[in-house]
Amino acid sequence: MVTKMNAVLTPEHPKLENIKRKCREARMQIIDMAATDTGCHIGGSLSVIDLLIVLYEKYNSDSKNQIVLSKGHAAAALYSTLFVNDLLGESPALTYGKKSSLLTGHPSHKIKNIPFSTGSLGHGIPYAAGWALSQKLKNEDGIGIAVCGDGELQEGLCWESFQVIQSKEINNFVCVVDINGAQNDGYVKDISDLVNLKTRFESFGFNTKEIDGHNVSDILGSLNEEQKKPLVLLAKTIKGKGVPELEGNPKAHYAKIPQRLKNKWKRSLL
Amino acid sequence: MSLSGRESYRDELTKLASIDERILCLEADLGGSNHQFEANHPNRFFNMGIAEMASIDIAAGLSEGGHIPFFSTFASFASLRSAESMKLAMGYMEKNIKVVAPYGGVSGGWFGTTHHALEDIAIVRSFQKIKIACPHGEEDTRKVVREAANSNKPYYIRLSRNDSYESLDRALDHDCSHPLFHYKGESDLCLISIGEQGTVLCKEMESLYPDVSHIHLCYVDYESLQDHITEIGNAAERLLVVEEHRLSGGTASLLSILMPEKKVYSHDCGEDWPIYGGTHQETLEYLGFSSNVLREKIDSMKGKKLSI
Repeated sequence: MVTKMNAVLTPEHPKLENIKRKCREARMQIIDMAATDTGCHIGGSLSVIDLLIVLYEKYNSDSKNQIVLSKGHAAAALYSTLFVNDLLGESPALTYGKKSSLLTGHPSHKIKNIPFSTGSLGHGIPYAAGWALSQKLKNEDGIGIAVCGDGELQEGLCWESFQVIQSKEINNFVCVVDINGAQNDGYVKDISDLVNLKTRFESFGFNTKEIDGHNVSDILGSLNEEQKKPLVLLAKTIKGKGVPELEGNPKAHYAKIPQRLKNKWKRSLL
Repeated sequence: MSLSGRESYRDELTKLASIDERILCLEADLGGSNHQFEANHPNRFFNMGIAEMASIDIAAGLSEGGHIPFFSTFASFASLRSAESMKLAMGYMEKNIKVVAPYGGVSGGWFGTTHHALEDIAIVRSFQKIKIACPHGEEDTRKVVREAANSNKPYYIRLSRNDSYESLDRALDHDCSHPLFHYKGESDLCLISIGEQGTVLCKEMESLYPDVSHIHLCYVDYESLQDHITEIGNAAERLLVVEEHRLSGGTASLLSILMPEKKVYSHDCGEDWPIYGGTHQETLEYLGFSSNVLREKIDSMKGKKLSI
């Protein structure tokens, strides 16, 4: 089925081009942060960035919605997203990880436009659900959106939360799973495989869609239907997407890179 | 006849919710069926099921949306199972969440160690920024619930089980953060009571030792104690804290740090695990938190020959 958004946004559509431009700029910011004294969680930041940029494009203009990056180790992606949307004053790489900077390795609620401190995995999902429930109780049409990682779904708190979400019919909830297939110590499938993920979510009564997490048009289209059930996007992504030397390599989870690599990798994005 | 802490909480919250539609009641399958909040405000009552950690984080989202969520489950589960959520959402982020925790101390009696909470105050206190209240009796409990509802701060309210007590008299214009002073002025020893059983013991000691002063504390978090530390310290040279909690992380240890010039002692539940069945009272006696042991301590501190 061709969704409304797909029908409106052709590959040449200016809005789509603008989103892609933001994705490219954000990727450069992430690489800049990997080239700081501290480095960053570059692999998961590059895998999730297209999802984050589209979600901010779609939902962030309305204060009734709230987006939470539950996979907080991808803080570099969140800072980049805020920056390219003029929600962060200066390039995050300038102060990231430095003394007295709020831009720590995992996002803090002390930063404007970040509602919840994440990094300890699983917490963003119930938080977004609580926000969504609050909207329902106020008869508002706001949505709570959690962006999590596939490795994160090994955390029991996620499933505890999904249980509550289905039982309380929190239908204005969206969970976007960045399925890059790798976690800190290796491939997800080798550590604790997430078998039958789509079936699992469907068994919870969620509307579950599998999408290409780097296809901006695909992501937008999947978010454009009237939401009658909690929505889960199983977004297939590539760890380190955009940097050929990193793509698909679980060792790209965290990196601190030299300046020469930074410049090379940024040039390759153009 | 007074209501128990749990009944007082349910009743007071139900009344408050009638005048403040932001108030929500969240339970974790331990609030009892026929909850009066549910009967009166069904759209604002949520039995979350057995999901303590998720409940605190969901409460954080609810509070961010402008609601005032009260979440209740037994003290051991609230403080331990959801400890990380309490640390982050309530301590670090100071979300406006109220946790109400019955079954404090060993009021779970024969239910066993899984249902005992002798560490909860130490754990929650270590997170900072969370108001910790241990009310004694119906009036104190109602007042603390009202104070929590009217405050933007996160709260941990520790209750007992089903026993009911008369609260100590408190001036109408004093909130529960004010210590209650029963000065005698003839002894350099002052008892400091905390929570329901601790206060029961101290009320008994007041009649047995007319010269010993007594201070009742309802709020025992770091900031609340700091606010009144001078008044507390002025009560006597020696302070004996009576608290149904472990020695580790108990209020005595915090008071001794806040008042290094004073001699602070503790009558507590020790460091042993309660392993036997029995009533609340029998479990307390097994742990040495009894009237007899307290009298022995006081006699010893007063230089009297022990007669127990």
